[in-house]
Amino acid sequence: MNASVDRASAQNSRQTTASRTSRPVRRGLKIRTKLLLLVSFLLVIPWMGYESVREMEKFLLEGQEQALELTTQGISSILGNRSDLFDPGVGVPELVGSSTGNPLKTLEEPLAIDAPAGVWAQAIGELSSFTGVGLYECGADYRPDLLAVRHAMALNADMLFAYFEIDDDRVVLRDPALLSLDSNDQIRLTIQRGSGELSRYLLTTQEPGRISVYLMKPNWREVVDGEALRDIAGTLDPGEDGYAVKIRIPREFLGTGARLKFEVVDVDDEASRAIRQIISTEPDPFRFEFGSVRLATPELAKLIQPLYVAEANITVWDAFFRVRAQVGSVFPPVREAFGRAPQKRSFLTQIEDRFLEFFDWILRSPQRGVKDMPVDSSREDRRLLSRVLAEGNSITERRRYGEAKLIVTASPIWAAGNIEGAVLVKQSANKLLSLQYRTLQRFTLLFLGVFIFLGIAILVFATRLTYRVGKLQRETEQAATAEGRLLKDRIRAGSRSSDELGSLTRSISALLQNLGQYTQYLEKLPDTLAHELHNPLNVVNSSLENLQYNHTELSEDKHLQRARNGVGRLRSIITSLTEAASLKEALTREQAQSETFDLALLVRNCVEGYQAAHPGYRIVQNFSEAPVLILGVPDRIAQMLDKLIDNAIQFGSENGLIIVNLRRDAEFIELSVLNDGPSLPDDIADRLFDPMVSSAKDARKTHLGLGLYIVRLVAESHRGTVRAENRRGARGVEVTVALPAEVRRRG
Amino acid sequence: MPTVIAIVEDDPDQRENYSDVLKSHGYDVRTYADRPSAEAGFARELPNLALLDIMLGEDMDGGFDLCMQLRNMSSTLPIIFLTARDSDADRISSQRMTAWDYITKPVSLEFLVARVHALLKISDQLQSAPTASTTVSVGALELNEDSMLVRWKGQPVSLTLTEFWIIESLTRNPGHVRTYDALSDVTRQGLVERNTINGYIRRIRHKFRELDERFDRIQTVHGTGYKWEQGSA
Repeated sequence: MNASVDRASAQNSRQTTASRTSRPVRRGLKIRTKLLLLVSFLLVIPWMGYESVREMEKFLLEGQEQALELTTQGISSILGNRSDLFDPGVGVPELVGSSTGNPLKTLEEPLAIDAPAGVWAQAIGELSSFTGVGLYECGADYRPDLLAVRHAMALNADMLFAYFEIDDDRVVLRDPALLSLDSNDQIRLTIQRGSGELSRYLLTTQEPGRISVYLMKPNWREVVDGEALRDIAGTLDPGEDGYAVKIRIPREFLGTGARLKFEVVDVDDEASRAIRQIISTEPDPFRFEFGSVRLATPELAKLIQPLYVAEANITVWDAFFRVRAQVGSVFPPVREAFGRAPQKRSFLTQIEDRFLEFFDWILRSPQRGVKDMPVDSSREDRRLLSRVLAEGNSITERRRYGEAKLIVTASPIWAAGNIEGAVLVKQSANKLLSLQYRTLQRFTLLFLGVFIFLGIAILVFATRLTYRVGKLQRETEQAATAEGRLLKDRIRAGSRSSDELGSLTRSISALLQNLGQYTQYLEKLPDTLAHELHNPLNVVNSSLENLQYNHTELSEDKHLQRARNGVGRLRSIITSLTEAASLKEALTREQAQSETFDLALLVRNCVEGYQAAHPGYRIVQNFSEAPVLILGVPDRIAQMLDKLIDNAIQFGSENGLIIVNLRRDAEFIELSVLNDGPSLPDDIADRLFDPMVSSAKDARKTHLGLGLYIVRLVAESHRGTVRAENRRGARGVEVTVALPAEVRRRG
Repeated sequence: MPTVIAIVEDDPDQRENYSDVLKSHGYDVRTYADRPSAEAGFARELPNLALLDIMLGEDMDGGFDLCMQLRNMSSTLPIIFLTARDSDADRISSQRMTAWDYITKPVSLEFLVARVHALLKISDQLQSAPTASTTVSVGALELNEDSMLVRWKGQPVSLTLTEFWIIESLTRNPGHVRTYDALSDVTRQGLVERNTINGYIRRIRHKFRELDERFDRIQTVHGTGYKWEQGSA
């Protein structure tokens, strides 16, 4: 009826040999992995922290921006309506040079005009390069190797020094035979004095050494005065690629509010003496005719001096894009501190440094940004200023130079409705960021510590838990055999611990104990049952016999015969019950009686006996004559063989063939009995060797299923195993007992 | 004077069945249900043979106690234990009490009567002078069928009736195999399993080995039965 269901479940159970009844286990993670995964969720915290720090950064930058804007506006309103401060006549040309360049260097000692060019070059500082690229005077075929100019100026208390290095492929000096001054390499100097009056000076020489200076008319061809001037002194030193020119101008000679412009004029052809190229120190001569003098107003500087803001640069510009005053720098005061002095380091500190570098890289240390900060950002400044001066509004912008962040704000200065100038404030955001960085660093270190600690703690906890669970599992598995027989009645490992696992262990222990008691009760049950059945059986038996004795005419009565048959069957059932029940005990007791004997001989004798006892069957042995020595109790082995043969006969085909095999290899001696009966039923295949399991269906024979159980008990008492399987390639079942072959110890 | 047989059995059905069959064979039967009544009965009149159950109601070892009392009254009184208890311990106890036979239930009445006959006969023989003529010698073994007396190398071996019959059967044809079926008949118990025979042989060997550690005359012929090996010594 439901045989198919049984079969299906039986197949199912065969797949999972460990637990016969359980369904397949879902695939999943182990406790330790789960916990570690859980810990990894903690990684969200630094991300959150990072994000919040970023938000904070944004917020702080905005704050800084606003503060800076307010500062700028404050400054611009202070400077408002103070036209006097921007009066071009006020102040002295303290700073001379490109309006876009660095402030001029101030020298302590005056430079001697006859000193070598190298001395000047060193003293005067960094040179600015001027080329003729894109200049109208130089033409389209300009080549830097034909003419290039490097130029710088410096100041001391009463002199202005100008230095030129001029690359020229062919130096053409003044020909003494020629009257004209401008038919050779020359330097033209234009001075616009405070009054606006222009003076043009031509600097030329016939040979290296002192240069003659002449005041010229606007056409640069005619002299105003034939006399060479003494105020301006200059020398020409020939160099490798051209020549160097040193010029000294008394500041008194320039006056206040003067502006300068130099032009280097190149003549290459000694025959025609035509002017080939001109390079001016003012790159945009059309718009700013004279741009080379920056006028600082001392009063202005005094005004803004107290407004010093850390790492900020405040400049005040007039409407002509001239810096009137400046204070502060965008660079932190001790920039050098960031560069590490190279010194011998131990391997450990090197690793530490590497780690710190990596750390800085991960967290984007703002100190790196400082290196990216440009020294000169005047182009952007001027763009911003032109907008401010044109629109009359404050403008704030944020600039990035690589990693460097700069906040720039500019505000116009009003005077009587006109824009007089502008205040430009630049501040590095890196200072703010470095504060934030420190927070982030602290936070990261703290978190890293917590994370590592938690990770280790959970790893240790999980490992310990897994170990305990594993131990509990092992012990539980060892508590019973695969067939479900109990081997121990308690679990020792961890049973004293107070947590849930300990309580689970105790529960399992209690379960095992109860199960053990129940199993004991069950094991004793057949014996008790048999004992209790003996008395009523005896009543029936003796009554039947008395009946037969007293009524001899009934001895052939079929009902009496059947009753006696029934008693006989009952009796054999009870006998086999007691046999199995007492066998276990007897086997342990007889362990000491083990002896070494020839199993082959025993099996041969037995087979002869069986053949004689069951003439209807063919019982044959199929092994060689060689003795097979084994350590054991011969009576019990014979008893086991009895049961194997009984089983083979019972389930074999009628009058069939039964083969007894004996094999031996290095490890095992295998005794097997084969019949030619039907295959093993699937539903009991696993439990064939358990007591009270039988596949017999014949109601008139008694089948308690104790035969193979006895086989198993005997085999196990000899440290062997037993298995039943369908014969391969032939009809029938093979039951095999494998016994360990290590006999010779005593033999 | 009729032969008196005492039956001590707590189950009335079994008691009456034993009684009926023995009465019909001409014995005078006294039946007792428990130890006190049996003790009283024995004090009044000593039976010629006693059939004892070991468990008498709540009295777990009542049969053993009665056996000891009877043995004190007479050294030659045949005592048969007829019990459902089939453990080696019980058998050894009964032997210590010098019971003559130990039969496990269910018992065939026919064989019970045969045993009673046999034991009464032996008892008679023991009371009169034993005749040497019935003694058989097989090597170092002496066997007196009438008095159920067995000596191994001159020393008496204390065997129950069933054990005696088995030894007698084995030594009748020394060197020849007695099959399980043949031995089963000899025990006169009806259907007997091989394992039961093995148990008898095991106990017999044990008794001989208590006298002679190197006793090995009874040999197992696996799958078939046993034989008495006539040794050279």
